[in-house]
Parts: sequence; C-alpha cells; structure tokens
Amino acid sequence: MLKKMICFLFVLYVTLGLLSPAIAQKDVTLLNVSYDPTRELYQEANAAFAKYWKEKTGQTVKINQSHGGSSKQARAVIDGLRADVVTLALAYDVDAIHEQAKLLPKDWQKRLQHNSAPYTSTLAFLVRKGNPKKIKDWDDLLRPGISVITPNPKTSGAARWNYLAAWGYALKKNNGEQTKAGEFITKLYKNVPVLDSGARGATTTFVERGIGDVLINWENELLLIKKMNPNDYVMVAPSLSILAEPTVSIVDKVVDKRGTRAVAQAYLEYLYSEEGQEIAAKHFYRAHSPIAVAKYESQFPKINLFTIDEVFGGWQKAHKTHFADGGVFDKIYLP
Amino acid sequence: MRYFRLFVFILGLNALSFGSSPLFAQENGSLALDSLANRLEAVDQQVRILARKMELEQEAAAAKKKETPSIAATADGFSFKSADGNYMLKVRAHTHSDGRFFLGDDVKVATNTFLIRRQRFLFEGTVAKIYDFKFMPDFGGGQFVLQDAYLDARFLPYLKLRAGKMKTPFGIERLQSPLYISFIERGLPNNLVPNRDVGAQVHGDLAGGVINYMIGAFNGVADAGSGDRDTFDSKDYAARLFVQPFLKSQGGALRGLGIGVAVTSGTQTGTVTTPSLPSYVSPGQIAFFRYRTDGTAAGTVFADGKISRLSPQAYYSWSRFSLLGEYVTSSQNVTRATTSAKLENKASQAIATYVLTGENATYRGVTPKKSFEPAAGTWGAFELTARVSKLDVDDDAFPVFANPQSSASEANAWAVGLNWYMNKNIKFVVNYEQTSFKGGAATGDRLDEKAILSRFQITY
Repeated sequence: MLKKMICFLFVLYVTLGLLSPAIAQKDVTLLNVSYDPTRELYQEANAAFAKYWKEKTGQTVKINQSHGGSSKQARAVIDGLRADVVTLALAYDVDAIHEQAKLLPKDWQKRLQHNSAPYTSTLAFLVRKGNPKKIKDWDDLLRPGISVITPNPKTSGAARWNYLAAWGYALKKNNGEQTKAGEFITKLYKNVPVLDSGARGATTTFVERGIGDVLINWENELLLIKKMNPNDYVMVAPSLSILAEPTVSIVDKVVDKRGTRAVAQAYLEYLYSEEGQEIAAKHFYRAHSPIAVAKYESQFPKINLFTIDEVFGGWQKAHKTHFADGGVFDKIYLP
Repeated sequence: MRYFRLFVFILGLNALSFGSSPLFAQENGSLALDSLANRLEAVDQQVRILARKMELEQEAAAAKKKETPSIAATADGFSFKSADGNYMLKVRAHTHSDGRFFLGDDVKVATNTFLIRRQRFLFEGTVAKIYDFKFMPDFGGGQFVLQDAYLDARFLPYLKLRAGKMKTPFGIERLQSPLYISFIERGLPNNLVPNRDVGAQVHGDLAGGVINYMIGAFNGVADAGSGDRDTFDSKDYAARLFVQPFLKSQGGALRGLGIGVAVTSGTQTGTVTTPSLPSYVSPGQIAFFRYRTDGTAAGTVFADGKISRLSPQAYYSWSRFSLLGEYVTSSQNVTRATTSAKLENKASQAIATYVLTGENATYRGVTPKKSFEPAAGTWGAFELTARVSKLDVDDDAFPVFANPQSSASEANAWAVGLNWYMNKNIKFVVNYEQTSFKGGAATGDRLDEKAILSRFQITY
C-alpha cells in the first residue's frame, strides 16, 4: 500500500516537475493602482523601472496601470482589485485600505522616506488666455459670475486638497475663524457648476469641454496642460496653498499572495532614486532629490505652502470633519 | 431628459429677453453687441455645463452597470454572475423520462415500464475567479444519489486540480455527459468502467487542447460502480491521456479525430457480506452476469486483490458524421472459499451517428439550427445512430465463481436509434437494441433481449 502511494506521489511529482518550468514563469506583472493625473508619470517611470529591473535581475516586469479618483481607487482595492502597489493622492486613502481591508499594516507610511511620498505637489489655478476674469487669488473665485471647476471631494484626492487649500487660506485671512472659513468655502462651491469624479475629469471639463473660468487642480496637471497648450491658458499661483503629499505603498497581502513583494518594493524604491526623481520632476512633480530640484526649479512657481498637519491636525481629523458622510462638505454643497 | 427641458427653457428665456431688451432698441451698437456677446457666452456655458452633466451621468451609469451583478435565464440554465465575472452560480436541471419495452419476453425476465431514469439538479459555479465547483444530486428512480460534488481549481490551463466526488478518468463514453450520449443507455463496455468515485486528480490541456491529461487517486470502486467512501486503506489510481492531433488544423477532415488510452490500477478487497464485485447488465438494464453469492463463506465470491483496467479509445467527428470506439479490459482477483483466480473480462463497442438535417455531430451532442415549431414548418434536428457492442466474461469464471445456468459468459448487442433534437433543451430518443447471450440459461443460451427504449430529455 505504502509502496503504491509512494509510486503515485512519484508520478505526480514527475508530472508537476515536467510542468514546473512552464509554471515558474520568468515574467512578472505588477498592478499600480494610482490616482487620476499620474498616467504620464507612471508610463515613463514604469518603462524606466522595467529596464532597470531587467538589467539588475534579468527578469522581465510589466507594470499595468489603473487610474481614477483617488478615493474611488482605494475603494476598488478594498473591494478586491488586486493592486500590488498603490500610489494614491493622499495618505488617508491608503489608510482606508488598512482600516477597511487590512491589506497593509497600520504603519505603512513609515516604511519609505518622506512619509512614503516620493514626490510632492501643490494646488494652483489655471485660467483662460489673457486671464479675462482677472483671477489672482482665492478671493477672486468667490466673485459672482465666476465659474470654478474642481472635482468632487467625495471621490477625488485633488478635490480634497483643493478644498483644504481654500479653507486654509480663508482661516489665515480670517484670523483662524472656522465659521468665516466655512462661509468662504460655501460661497466658493456655489460657483462650481459641475463636479467631476477625478482631477483628470475636471481637466477635461475645463480644457476639452470649455467650461468655467478657472480650474483648480494639481500643479503638475496645470503645468502639463500649459505645456500641451502653451498659448491657450495662464497658470495663476495663489498667495497661499497646501503642500500635497501623494503617498505610495505596496499592498502586502496581494504581493505576498502573488509572490511579487521584492519587485514591488524595488519599484517603489526606484521612485526615490535619482532616475525616479528626475522622471517625477520632468512630469512637474516636486522632487526631493537636490539634483532634480535644482534642475527643474524654474518650472515651479513660488507659492507659500502650509501642511495638512499644521492647519487641520492630519488627514484623519480633516477627513472626519470635512469629508465624512454628514461632514462640512455635505452641509455646504447641495447639488 | 430633464437637462434637455432645462436647456429649452433657458433658450426660451434668453430669446424672450433678447427680443424685449431695451438694449436691443438702443442705437449704441457697441454696447448692445457687448451685452449680446456676454449673454451668448453665458448661454453657451450653460449649454456646455448641461451637456457635461449629461456626459458624467452617462459615465456614472456605465460604471455602475459594470459593477452590477448580472442575472440571466437562458437555454443553458439560470445564472447569477458578479460584475467582474469572478463569482458565478449556475442552476440547471436535467430530466430523463424513459420507457422500456421488451419484445418476445415470454418468460418475463424484464418488465415493461416507464421510469424517471435521471432527475438531476446541477449547481455549478465559480468563486474567486479560478475555483469552479459542481454539486449534482440525482433523484432518478425515486432515490437520492449525490452524483458529483467537487471543487476544480484552474491554476493554469495545463494544471488544474479537482477534488471531491467525480467521474473516474477512464471510459470515453462514461466521461461523455448523459445529455450527449448517442443512445439511451451506454454500451456494454461501461459494465467494466468505473463510474463515480471520491478522490483527487490533476488534469489539464497542453498545446492549446491538443493533449488532455488526467491523473488521480481515488478510493476505488468495482466495475461500473460508484462510491462515497472507502472501506480499506488502499487507493486506486487512474490516468487518461487523450490526443487530438489535428485539433488546430483549419477545417480539415481529421480535425475531429481524437485517440486516447486510460488505465486504472488498485486493490479491491471484499468480504462475504460486502463482496465488492459487480454484476453486468444488458442495454435494457437487466443483469445477465453475477458472481456467486449466497451469504455463506463457502458460496460467496468476493474481490480479493489487484484490479486493473485498460482502455484504448477514440472519437472522430466530421461535419454531420461521428464515430466513437472503445475497448476495455478489466482484470480482478477474486476468491471463493479457498479458491482464488485472476479473471479478465473484456468489452468493446463502436458507435456511428449521422445527422440527417445537416448540423454538426460532436462529442457534446447536436445543436439544432432550427427549433421544432410546427406553425413555422421547422422540425429541429434528426440524427440516426447505430451501435455494436460486446462483453466477454473470462471463461475461468465458470462454474466456480459464476453459475453458468444463470449468468451468461458473453453478450453481443446491436442497436439502431433516432435522436430528435426539438430544440436546445428538449430531445426525444427512440432505440431498438437486440442482445444475444452465450450461456446464462438452464439449458443452452439465455433468450435474446429485444428492447425498445424511449426517452424524453429535458435540460435547462
């Protein structure tokens, strides 16, 4: 009996052994679930990393990209989208993946430098050629007749940054009075005719559909629009804005299940390398590397920036107060 | 629609204000033109905003549709499917309502009867994208039998793992669904082919389906038997290799050719009370061979050692024509009291089918081009079938292990049939099958069996 069992296991082993070269595929794929305007950045970064990884390990890696509103993307990962890495617009969305699905550890943000934000950005304005509505700062967005394009803070990371940047400005202007800041934001959103679900959608609304007088969006997105349409738009830097820190993380449970932890980790670390920083800066993201900063310094406007921790006490608190169901945004914006 | 109405309203409002505006009457042209331009720009923006809102609503609706699970009721059954297709449940049912009638059966060996041969409910589905399951209870004959209950993990096309109760990977006709077999009852070789057993098998397709392999370990069952648990530690092993060398050729006459070989090997150990030995039945489902059993140690034969089977097999189809052939040997050690022997029984069959109405004949049946609808003058599909089959019991079985006066040593059958596929779900079958026997009677040979079998098959 034992002899036959051994015999069978041997046959099974040989069968699987014969198949194993095919099973042990050399190629590997990663899925990077990202927010809306990072398409171009990751197209180039992915190609560069694939080349780097091939040279370093001999392994072929293909990185698939998925883009959408940051919160929507986080929701998709929580609901089962098998992302090896997430590169989202804000830390709160990555926190949600830990809190609601336990796919990564609570202290994920401590695993990489700069709070796992390999690049930063801020929020600014884009107006039409010649700035016909003479928009210079946040106050101008409240004027009657001004049509402001910004996405929906319920689904878009950029929209939350926009909202908080405006709130921070209003607080400073009104000596920290929350009520006055609330009134400011209420007036601003009365001038918003349509809410897109993501930053790239808002760009489509403003640029392709020709709607609105001013677009509030990622600085990198506005600089990209200007690069592609140099004569049609003017970028306006407000007097005060927020330091936006898009964050990245591997999704531990997915990479462990797929056996992609090493390559996924290397992929994110590559974003911090000189090559990765150069690519980020080239795509109008503010890099950390002094070399990249010096090389691309001239393309970024000078803006006074505050951090979310300074004004709102961090993302968890900001979300609970402003964006959670029943929060301030739900009260001020009634479609 | 509400945006369209709002748009018309806005246009109307602006048209009214345009016609009644004092500015329009003013002679100061440039002022009027500026005002007009501003108003037109405002209207233009409103139209654009409405159009964009519609666009976003359509995008949201499309996205929502993608996330919405689908429910379908089709000729293939009822199904529930998650939006991403990773989760699915399919509910189906099969009914075989048969009639069996025997001609010239003056000695009343068989009974003319109607019966529910099969009443099966299928619960098939997928969880987590690659894990399929099948659960199939059968209430045929008024009894409950769990026919299939297994999980099938599709790791790769060439590496799948199935565990549970399933058909043993051996006989080509046994592996064919009863929905698609050419005759109402399978041929004589299936008396030697194991039916369903509990175990695990690795299987898959290589070279894009040109080669199919199955290899597994099972509890082990007697010829034609099914089992739910083992009574001994030993396990049986089964393997089947089936090759369709011309599968990838485009439209060639040999594209539908498949040849294969299957083997099983194991140990069956019976007792006086549970002999673990089969009886063999005719196409009319009447037993014509039984090992001796009288409940005593001296008079009962039981399985006692190695059992092995071998089956070369082939299938061929081309256009409306098909052939199926198999040869099976089953070798089993048996014991009666102090006498033991290794008995080798053999069987073979050849089946030919031809679809009169032009549809393709396939291993998975015939799909009628037109359903039976008398009012429209369409009649479904008709298929003619013919079969010869034979089962030869080892001569050494007589007289020690089987009684030659009640068990035949050989059965030879020929059959013709007509399959009427009324539509994808309903099939009517009528067969005539005549079987002659060698031995099996007090004197001479058992009487020929002349059976007329009929079936209404409903599947959905």
